[in-house]
Amino acid sequence: MATVLQDIVEKKHYKFIDGEGVTWQEAIRLSTLSLVADGTVTEDFYQQIIACVEKYGPYIVFEHNIAMPHTQENADGALKTGVGFMVSKKLIDFGVDEDGEEKKANVFFTLSTTNPDEHLQNISQLSEIFMNDDLIDALAAAETPEDILKAEKDFPCEEE
Amino acid sequence: MAKLDGKKLLACCANGAGSSLMMENAIKKVMKRNNIKPAELRHCPVSEGKTAARNYDVVFCARTFVKTFEGCEKNGTVLIPLKNVMSDKEIEAALKEAGLLD
Repeated sequence: MATVLQDIVEKKHYKFIDGEGVTWQEAIRLSTLSLVADGTVTEDFYQQIIACVEKYGPYIVFEHNIAMPHTQENADGALKTGVGFMVSKKLIDFGVDEDGEEKKANVFFTLSTTNPDEHLQNISQLSEIFMNDDLIDALAAAETPEDILKAEKDFPCEEE
Repeated sequence: MAKLDGKKLLACCANGAGSSLMMENAIKKVMKRNNIKPAELRHCPVSEGKTAARNYDVVFCARTFVKTFEGCEKNGTVLIPLKNVMSDKEIEAALKEAGLLD
C-alpha cells in the first residue's frame, strides 16, 4: 500500500511556496489548492479551516513548525479524503497561543476527510511523520516531489 | 492491576477529527506498552466532550481547551492537558504525575 507521502506525490497533492509576506490565512488557502485541483475539496473549503483557527487559536500548529490545517469530518467542501502537502521557504506566522508562545509553520499537511478508515490511516502515519525530526527537516527543505520521496526513503518511520 | 485498567478514557480536540485522533493513537501506544486495558478509549470534538467528560475517568485535551473542561474534576474526572498531543512520552509522563501510572 502506498504511504501517505507516496500518495501525496502520486496525486500531485503538493505545493512549494516562498512564503515571503504571506499571512497564515493566505497560507491555508494556498495549502488547499493542490486538493482543489483534482476535486478533493471545493475552492472555498479553506474558509472553514480559517474559521476554526480564528475560533480556537493556532492549535493546528504543532512542534517543529508543522501545521495540520483541518476541520471536522465531512465538512462542507470536503469531497474526498486526502492530504495536501505544502512547504514554505519562509516561516508563516500564526500568532501566539494561549501561553503566549509564538506559533510558526513551514511544513503543512492539510486534511480533507470523508472516509473515516482512510482518514485514520492517514492520521496514524502523520503522527509518526510529525515525531520524526530528521524526516520533518528533510521535508521542510524539499523543493520538488522527488525530494519528498527521497526524504521518506532517507528517514523512514518505524513500523508499528 | 494497573490503575487505568477498566477505566474510560476520552481524547478531545476542536473538531474531533485531527489532533484528538492523534492523541488516541498515542494513548493506545502508552496503554499497550504498559499492558493496560482500558474499558473504553475514544475521541470526540470538545463541543461533545464538554458534556461527555463527566462519564469518563480521564479526559485528555490540548492545553488550549483546558478552560472548556473546568469543573469536570468535581465529578472525579481527571483532566490531562497536553502540549504535544501526539507525544506518547508526554502522555506517559503526565499519567505518572497524576498517579495513574506506575
